[in-house]
Amino acid sequence: MAVTYQSTRDHPMPRPSQWSKFFRNNASIILIYAIILLVIGTAAISNENFRTPSNLLNILRQSIIIGLIAIGQSIVVLTGGMDMSVAQVARIVGLTVATIFAAQDSNPAMILPLILLGLVMGTLLGAFNGLLITRTHANPFIITFGIASILRGVNLAISTTPIRGIPASYLHIYDFKIGIIPANVLVMALMWVIAYLFTTRTRTGRALFAVGGSERVAQLSAIRYNRTLVISYILCSISAAIAGLFLLSRTGVGDPSAAEGMDFQSIVAVALGGISLYGGKGSMVGTLGGVLLLASLSNVFNLLQVNIYYQQLLLGLIVLVTVAAYKSPRSA
Amino acid sequence: MNTAPFQPKSTAGRFSSFRPSPRFVRGVDLAGQWAAPIMIVVVLAIAAIFAPAFYLPTNLKTLAIQIAVLGIVAVGQTLVLLVRSIDLSVSAVLALGAVIVVQTQAGNSLWISFIQAFAIAAFIGLANGLLITKRQVPPFVATFGMLVFIQGARLAYTKGQASGTVPAILRAISFEQVGPIPAALIVWLIVNIIAIFFLRKTQFGRWIYAVGGNPSAARYAGIRVDAVIIAAHTICSMLAMLGGLLLSGYIGYVDLRLGADYNLNSIAAAIVGGTTFTGGRGNLLGTAAGAALLILLLNLVVVLGLPIHWQYAMQGFVLVVAVALQGFRQFLLSR
Repeated sequence: MAVTYQSTRDHPMPRPSQWSKFFRNNASIILIYAIILLVIGTAAISNENFRTPSNLLNILRQSIIIGLIAIGQSIVVLTGGMDMSVAQVARIVGLTVATIFAAQDSNPAMILPLILLGLVMGTLLGAFNGLLITRTHANPFIITFGIASILRGVNLAISTTPIRGIPASYLHIYDFKIGIIPANVLVMALMWVIAYLFTTRTRTGRALFAVGGSERVAQLSAIRYNRTLVISYILCSISAAIAGLFLLSRTGVGDPSAAEGMDFQSIVAVALGGISLYGGKGSMVGTLGGVLLLASLSNVFNLLQVNIYYQQLLLGLIVLVTVAAYKSPRSA
Repeated sequence: MNTAPFQPKSTAGRFSSFRPSPRFVRGVDLAGQWAAPIMIVVVLAIAAIFAPAFYLPTNLKTLAIQIAVLGIVAVGQTLVLLVRSIDLSVSAVLALGAVIVVQTQAGNSLWISFIQAFAIAAFIGLANGLLITKRQVPPFVATFGMLVFIQGARLAYTKGQASGTVPAILRAISFEQVGPIPAALIVWLIVNIIAIFFLRKTQFGRWIYAVGGNPSAARYAGIRVDAVIIAAHTICSMLAMLGGLLLSGYIGYVDLRLGADYNLNSIAAAIVGGTTFTGGRGNLLGTAAGAALLILLLNLVVVLGLPIHWQYAMQGFVLVVAVALQGFRQFLLSR
């Protein structure tokens, strides 16, 4: 009987249960959270400084800047693009706001207008990126790489030394706490919820996946291709601008080397979280996992007093292993 | 089944009402090909009027060596761009070369450290190529990850303080002069002549254009697409290593920032010179002109007495304009 069975079909196919389907569809997300649990669990057992509540909150706080940037980066990567200018956008927003604060003698009344100015700057820079990419049909990676270089020059022209004169009440934004939970962690959590709902529930959010999957199909489905792309770059730059404003509040000075390396780290977080770098596939939940993994790894490295030079080596190794481990969905 | 690193997306449906006139298409095409040489003349004229210091012999020698180093790296970058890939790890390889030669000079004989340097470069290129072809990692990400990895390895090895003197032989092949010409320029010419010969006259050269032009057609024609892409990456890394050796010979010492801008600049040089991102189109004479143009512009910033950080803005501006122009050109030609 077994022989006749095997002659028709090599493997008996069990009916997939709800659970196995769920696991198969979310394999990368489950994997990343399992790795996070593993890292945190090992560290908590072996190092008593790690398992203090203040340190665990620290991990969340350390992940805020990269987390905010990674929200925007995920949106752009979902469309099949990449934004290498996020770090410089965050930096130029921080420097501009700091310069105006300094020129206004740290007037606390300027806080709200300047936050708005930062958001407007983010919007305009994102629109510029998006329009340049859609109108010239050029490669997004290299266009934003070039824009980043231009912004780097402009940033150094604004200031080559840290700018002082941020009003004290602006610094409280970062330190503000509700109970024991820092407000900035709440803001980040709120942003993630909004981003998750945006990508799963709204028309434009779903269009991101279609655009990243196939331009042709997206257009045949009456999705406005160019508009969706421009919106994704605008959202990306806005989230970078918010990160820049938070960073200014954290450091307390307009730092001309702020957010260094964040552009690549955000892409690493996105890739770790399982969003396909070819676009069209993945979830914001995965990216959040990638961000938390990066933050907890860096926290563990610091507690174990790993040399800063080896940290970069390990980061590079993690990136190479991650990208080599997943295969492009198109070939599968 | 292995698809090409990045597929050009179909542009048929976009702007369906947009019908460019043939003259416009030809204009953009010619502009894409001839932008670099024309701009070189313009820059030289501007320099003659506003900054006579530009034409001092010492400045010209600096220019020649910088053009040679960037030109050699850009030859490799062009090969990689021709097969629809990209290499962002060149700057790390460049810096690594200097470190290897300087640090091993103490014990080993010079030739062994040269062989080590090029072997490591070939290995890095091989790894890039394998990641891109066998694991289908997008080229940007694979090579950028490699960049972070190599930089980390270099920092871990040198503990953040690279030091040492550059061997005399490196000084001889880059900074010393043969008659009135710096030796580096001659190395650049030799590399260019060999590379142009290979691209134009050999089967390998035809394969590169075939793979870049249409990977699936190339595969059906019996070309081993993966092997060609891997070879292009290996050659690119080895040329970057050569560039790094020349650069350290010219600068005379090794520091950690060495060569950091060469990623952006080598890509910009190739693309200004008429190489397109979508592969299969471009040549090395254009790249040579692009490298010269970029160095002239960067030097102009210095000679005009502007703050040095405007060089970043200049690099970025050239890259954005060139990429936008080539992207638009490719879009028009594909219609």
